[in-house]
Amino acid sequence: MIKDLSVNVHHITRVEGHGNIILDVKKGEIKQIQWQVPEAPRFFEAMLRGRHYDELRPITSRICGICSIGHSLASLKATEDALDIKISDQSQILRRLAINAENMQSHILHIGYLTTPDLLDLGSVFPLVGSKHQETLLKIIKLHRISNEMSDLICGRTTHPIRLVVGGFSMVPNKKQLTDLRKKLEDSINPIKEVAEVILSVADKIPDFTRETEYIGLSSDEEYALYDGCINSTDTGAFKNYKDYKKIMQEYIVSQSTAKYAKHVRKSYMVGALARYNLNSKQLHPLAQEIAKMFEFKPICFNPFMNNIAQLVEFVHNIEDSMIQVDKLLKKGIKEEKLIKPKKDTGQGIGIVEVPRGILLHDYTIKNNICTKANCIIPTNQNHANIQHDMEEFVPQILDKSEKEIELNLEMLVRAYDPCISCSTHYLKVKFV
Amino acid sequence: MSKPRVAFFEFASCEGCQLQIADLEEEILDLISIVDVVSFREIMKEHSDDYDIAIIEGSINRPMDEERIKKIREKAKILVAFGACATIGGVNKIRNQWDAENVKKDVYGDTNLSGNKYFDIYPTKAVDEVVKVDYYIPGCPINRDEFKKVVTSLVIGKKPEIPSYPVCVECKKNENVCLFELGKFCLGPITRAGCGAICPTNVSPCDGCRGLLRKPQIECVQEVLDRYSLTYDEMKNRCIMYNYTKEEGKDD
Amino acid sequence: MTFTKIKKVYKMENVKIFSKKNLDTFVDSLIQDKKYEVVGVKSKGNHFIFDTIGSSEELRLDYDITIIPPKKYFLPQYENLMKYNLKEKFDVKLDTEKKPCIIIGMHPYDIFALQQTDKYYLDEQKDDFYENRRKNTIIIGSDIENVSEYSFASSMNTHFIESGFDLMLTNIGDKYAVTIGSKKGEDLLNKFAKLEDAKLSDKEKIKKLRQNLASKYKKNVKVANGKSWSSLLVANYENSIWNERSSKCLECSSCTMVCPTCFCYDISDDVSLNLADGQRVRTWDGCLLKDFTKVASGEVFRDDLKDRYRHRFFRKGNYLSERFNFIACVGCGRCSVACLPNIASPCDVINELSHFGGEDKPGKYFIKQEIKIDEKGKIHVPRSATIKKIQKLTDSETLFELELNDKKPLGHKPGQFVELSIFGVGEAPFGISSPPSNEPTFDVVVRKIGNLTSKLFNFKVGDYVGIRGPLGNGFDIKQFEGKHIIFVSGGTGMIPMRSLIEYCLDKKNRDKFKYMKILYGAKRPSDVLFQDKIYSWERCKDVTCKLTVDTCQDGECWVGSVGLITTLFPSLNVERIEPKNTIAVVIGPPVMFKFVIKCLQTLGVSDTNILVSLERRMKCGVGKCGHCQINGIYCCKEGPVFNYSQIKNLPEAFK
Repeated sequence: MIKDLSVNVHHITRVEGHGNIILDVKKGEIKQIQWQVPEAPRFFEAMLRGRHYDELRPITSRICGICSIGHSLASLKATEDALDIKISDQSQILRRLAINAENMQSHILHIGYLTTPDLLDLGSVFPLVGSKHQETLLKIIKLHRISNEMSDLICGRTTHPIRLVVGGFSMVPNKKQLTDLRKKLEDSINPIKEVAEVILSVADKIPDFTRETEYIGLSSDEEYALYDGCINSTDTGAFKNYKDYKKIMQEYIVSQSTAKYAKHVRKSYMVGALARYNLNSKQLHPLAQEIAKMFEFKPICFNPFMNNIAQLVEFVHNIEDSMIQVDKLLKKGIKEEKLIKPKKDTGQGIGIVEVPRGILLHDYTIKNNICTKANCIIPTNQNHANIQHDMEEFVPQILDKSEKEIELNLEMLVRAYDPCISCSTHYLKVKFV
Repeated sequence: MSKPRVAFFEFASCEGCQLQIADLEEEILDLISIVDVVSFREIMKEHSDDYDIAIIEGSINRPMDEERIKKIREKAKILVAFGACATIGGVNKIRNQWDAENVKKDVYGDTNLSGNKYFDIYPTKAVDEVVKVDYYIPGCPINRDEFKKVVTSLVIGKKPEIPSYPVCVECKKNENVCLFELGKFCLGPITRAGCGAICPTNVSPCDGCRGLLRKPQIECVQEVLDRYSLTYDEMKNRCIMYNYTKEEGKDD
Repeated sequence: MTFTKIKKVYKMENVKIFSKKNLDTFVDSLIQDKKYEVVGVKSKGNHFIFDTIGSSEELRLDYDITIIPPKKYFLPQYENLMKYNLKEKFDVKLDTEKKPCIIIGMHPYDIFALQQTDKYYLDEQKDDFYENRRKNTIIIGSDIENVSEYSFASSMNTHFIESGFDLMLTNIGDKYAVTIGSKKGEDLLNKFAKLEDAKLSDKEKIKKLRQNLASKYKKNVKVANGKSWSSLLVANYENSIWNERSSKCLECSSCTMVCPTCFCYDISDDVSLNLADGQRVRTWDGCLLKDFTKVASGEVFRDDLKDRYRHRFFRKGNYLSERFNFIACVGCGRCSVACLPNIASPCDVINELSHFGGEDKPGKYFIKQEIKIDEKGKIHVPRSATIKKIQKLTDSETLFELELNDKKPLGHKPGQFVELSIFGVGEAPFGISSPPSNEPTFDVVVRKIGNLTSKLFNFKVGDYVGIRGPLGNGFDIKQFEGKHIIFVSGGTGMIPMRSLIEYCLDKKNRDKFKYMKILYGAKRPSDVLFQDKIYSWERCKDVTCKLTVDTCQDGECWVGSVGLITTLFPSLNVERIEPKNTIAVVIGPPVMFKFVIKCLQTLGVSDTNILVSLERRMKCGVGKCGHCQINGIYCCKEGPVFNYSQIKNLPEAFK
């Protein structure tokens, strides 16, 4: 079909950070498809240089506003790995609650505020006020609020958490607060089920696009891995030695992006909720499995748009898991604990966690309590190449649609990844491939 | 009277401050009842260049960003800087300790990035180092209550006021055990209040993210440092986190 | 005796005994009753705080000191005074809900402090909010078991107390003695407690404990009576120790926040995000903070850190001490715990000053006078008034004629002021410009400077504002009878002066006075206020008006003189006035006073016949919030009208 069109989305909306979509078609031939990342790099590893190990968490937390808890946890794990600190069981449970809270907060924000408007043909959630969907909006807000209240309680503050410190927690919640939290979590179950029904009713708007992709994420024998686990790949299986991460996550620079690209065995790979689902879906809690069934969602799913549904499923899993963790604390009894002190002042350590958008890794070298080198692998970084390649395969399939529809579809594709672009442009030590 | 039109913009930032707007939860409906949010890239597709109040998050660290903020300043009647990155430079300024070219070389190696405007980095600047800022909402992240106060003040025609007294006032009102007694060096006595002393209340020392009220002169501070066995260098080093200024490096 | 006996000792056979177990049961029964909020001392880390307790196990009567005093139960850190509905013209509701409260474990020094605070808050202009809390609280004190290292309560005689509590617990070893201090306390015991009678040996134990307590104190102040503190401080107002110590001060005001005898506060208006309603909130303020004395124009009346640092000690040891006959410090030592550079202790300061001499007139920074209170209505709570007329006087000043909606006259004297509220924006003081009358209307003249005045300029006739007043010390025209009067106004000083002039010129009053000379200086011709009124005054018998402006541009129409106001004096017809029988009134910007008063003195007017009206940051208007202090006096209570001879030696009056 003879067609000339040009799509130029400058600073795509409803994603975190700045990204551009460029599509140039002349006489039906695709001249250029580009996913550009013009976000201002901030050079976080330069910031960490020369800082005391107590300051690494507060600084890396500022890499991203939405995943600040995730960065904090990865940072703390790396520091604790470097300085030989083993945190208590109570701290382990609290950190799992923290990561659940972050996952919940981020996913519901993404599904509710960032993605749903596309499914309802709206520019944002604001028009839902006063419409027949106002109730749904209020439920989404309520679930978002509960997630935030949970992370406020566990971490002292949701964005840039305060209580997460090296060796444990500066302060812990008391019994009454945990009991109240338990009730709030229980009260979230019905609202999320209802929101799931609403999304199911418009699920036909989700494009049906697949491309065989490698998925990488953490896996663990004990649980659906978020806080702890080994790096696992749908193509090659699990890696026991996380110190070899550079062999798995290979980063390289491209000029259209201030963020790097990454690859493993194929030319790109995907991380995030969909990756975790594809790797570990059997370990999800029962209600989450039910929700997945509602959408006929089965692993391995190669449709990047289904990342949104994977997030919905994870949200439910996180509620169930949090109730289990809170019950553990209430049974044992929670108490203020002294922070675990480092056993040495020099070492190298790696901390890996799953944040809402995928696998996050911090690698620190500490000498005499001061950080001398740092490396971070950010989930969205790892997805940029996959976004580019998805676009390249997706565009020919939708070329017969109108310019406006193509633009919307490409935006929806990028949004499905839930990219956290400012995270990905913190900038780290470059390895050329 | 028509509602003021508000637009949000972000520069080099983590977007955590804008997230606080979404974190208003149910009150976000109150917000949109008193102002017209005409541009908020993170959660809205619509965008308008017709706005009265521009709210800026993030620091300026490239010439292309400088151009962008200048255009925004021209259009806006009122410009509000919000968050530490915009008001004082925040963590983004930590790298100003080193030369921008060296940092780039260190990170990108010998890749030729000249002519690529995305990579044209200069030392980080707070917004008021580039354009005139009318009001500030400090903090990393901002305090939602303070944001509400500033917005309601702007809407009802009152000049927004933020505290000019130190964090200790709020910390003492919260009955916190002083962090110094726990052996930590807290920047609370010289940091602007308005956050409700949230970090000390969570048993973590204040890092000065809302901006220092005054330079920590050695006469005032020496007594305190001696009493708690800390050094002046340790204190100055702490100030670098959010309040790095070029002079800090030279001063003693 | 340093401390005036404030409450009578309750006469009743008043000591009983609790076994430790029965005391616990007593406390738990109070908690379970649910009628009361039961507050006690519990641990927080290595420190202690007053907080609601859930069981007697949490109670720590062996504590040495709490981080902040129990004053938070009577004057909360953040207190909602009133809620207003912004959708209505004027809809305000007081927030006076208070669940009855029992505080267990108050140490004697804190009870002394509470009694002092009663003097401040339950005076002729009673604070209902404070009174409500006070009435609804039962105080169960406890004798000190462990002494804080910074406390000097024993040398202040505050380490034990014999009245002022409802019950007092004393740990006498294996049992607790409880002294009954009031009927309320007795009733509580009758309802919830299982007690034994006290033996003589038990009462002896209490006495012995209190005697031995004194020796546990490491810190002692060398002099502990009000007159000595007062005289030492006043004699050493300019001593270098203020500079030396304040150079280490971080201006954090932690000292005032933790002090049981500090009670200054600030008030601000909050508005909900939906703009439908809001509240007026009172919060603790501290005199160490730079903006404590800042007014809308930006001027700060106590700017220098040394002055602010010194002010706190004078407030405690001289200003309040002269006013109330007690030292406004109970030696608890909390300020020293809180002060990072450790420069806050009044004990250290007084001990250091004791090496220098004292002063025999320690009351010179305070004025003792009887003040008649004219304010109608509850303090803090505005009454509604309607804007009846708006008249632009100059480019920056506008006159608002207001009428109280209860249609009653304001009942003011010239020189008094009102506090005008716009809910959601704030409250500010305005001098009353119209003379006293039986009409329900009165005038204020507003200059657009800050938030409130800017908002007021957008108001229309028919809109409502809130009014509190009349407040302050006004002119007593009885003093003027039989005398000549010189009125000297500079700039906006003419606003309140007009009230006095018109009152004196009123047919009913005119004959009481002799010649009247009205001198008025403004910046420029366009700044002259009440020009038409001045013409009418001039036409009155035995009245001369002289006007001058600082500068006059070409083309500006002006028939008066050009030059500062002092230039009007030489041409005053001295023969027609007898300086010894003349009263002079001076109102104007701070810089004007020194020069004008010199002119008056040169004329031969005695200092006791010169009246001035000063301005400070007057927030509460009733001598409680502390912002308007000029040394030991409240500008809103002893002023704004002062007799010059009384304040000429106040260092802060004419800086």
